[in-house]
Amino acid sequence: MDKTIRLVQNIGKLLGKYPNIFLEGLFGTLWISAVVVLAGTVLGLLVATMRMSKAKILNRISDIYIEVLRGTPILLQLYFFYFAMPDNIPEAASIIIALVVNASAYISEIIRAGIGAVDKGQWEAAKSLGLSPKNTMFRVILPQATKNILPALCNEFITTIKGTSLASVFFVGELMTSFKTAQSATFLALESLIIVGIIYFVLNFVLSRLLRVLERRLAVSD
Amino acid sequence: MTDVIIRTENLIKNFGDLEVLKGIDVSIRKGEVVSIIGPSGGGKSTFLRCLNLLETPTGGKVYFKGQDITDKKMDSGKFRQSIGMVFQNFNVFPNMTVLDNITLTPILEKKIPKAQAEEEAMALLRRVGLEDKAKEYPRKLSGGQKQRLAIVRALAMKPEVMLFDEPTSALDPEMVKEVLNVISDLTRSGMTILIVTHEMGFAREVSDRVLFICDGIIKEQGSPDTIFTCPRDPSTIKFLSMVL
Repeated sequence: MDKTIRLVQNIGKLLGKYPNIFLEGLFGTLWISAVVVLAGTVLGLLVATMRMSKAKILNRISDIYIEVLRGTPILLQLYFFYFAMPDNIPEAASIIIALVVNASAYISEIIRAGIGAVDKGQWEAAKSLGLSPKNTMFRVILPQATKNILPALCNEFITTIKGTSLASVFFVGELMTSFKTAQSATFLALESLIIVGIIYFVLNFVLSRLLRVLERRLAVSD
Repeated sequence: MTDVIIRTENLIKNFGDLEVLKGIDVSIRKGEVVSIIGPSGGGKSTFLRCLNLLETPTGGKVYFKGQDITDKKMDSGKFRQSIGMVFQNFNVFPNMTVLDNITLTPILEKKIPKAQAEEEAMALLRRVGLEDKAKEYPRKLSGGQKQRLAIVRALAMKPEVMLFDEPTSALDPEMVKEVLNVISDLTRSGMTILIVTHEMGFAREVSDRVLFICDGIIKEQGSPDTIFTCPRDPSTIKFLSMVL
């Protein structure tokens, strides 16, 4: 009991004394996540397009890309980019690029499955009207696919946000790095961990709720 | 021959080992209404879908206004704008309103100003009795209303030919008539129409010519009266005796 009370008191003290460590960490996690989710989605869309294209060579390349990224640990990929990137690129950038690349592989598969689930008749109707392939994709297919994709994409976004914690291995400023900083400054390991854990949880909880609202909005046409 | 709008030459289509079309030669004149009848799996729909290249022919040629559209250099988007198609399953776009379904392609591909496209769309909707549904999403429409929407969506592109692929086969019986009435009106407007149908009474009433397609070839063709009253080919006789 005493232990629990002390823990809570320490958490309060820690937050009172070093609020900036955690705020900076939160800020770091937020912007890294935003970049990884956005760039990962754009890159994922590109990879999905290659995967679905008629050109065999593009199929092959995207296939290998996805398999390699899914078949190796993400931490290994971070190390790989950390060592393999040219020296003039900042370490943080290398790590973020690695996270983007990793996320894109998973997101592309989600997008591909979502597009595949759209009725074949929709493509045919658009084609028969003379709608260009680009307009067919962006006006007819993707809006319908988004509804199929959103739940899975939401999961992937949350995985991505949690995945940014791995950047702490390379001391890129984000929440998990804040934990390390706070811990080494105060030796209050468990307390720091709990604070960071709560922040992660709230972040992902809010995101999943927001996406659920969006899902409901999109269901208007059902 | 100058008024021929669609012509096929030894049109062949295989799906893997399956020969679906085994050489179809036909000329469709401008303004002609042609019904295509025949048993299921005989190649009727495949033939229709080859005319706007929804299926790529395995062999032979398809000419639209004298141009070979099977030529790889042809811009498929362009001639498809001139050939409207209506499907068995409507295929209206569920993610946009009735009005947007109609105006989407004219605005994007023909660069028609939005106001004008909407005005024309409303006129079309009035023609098929759907003007009060303009702002609705297709989920609120019945099957017959969806199909009427699909028809005017195709008409909004001002096509020169309309292809109907079993337009009433997925409809509840009480909705068949409202769709057939719209098509029937269209046949009187001078539009070139090809229609794959199982509605024999309708085919007889509206067509200038009936094609009987079976086993991947045109077994018999002629005026509706000839085909329906004195068919000559044994397979036509057998088919008609089963459906009439």
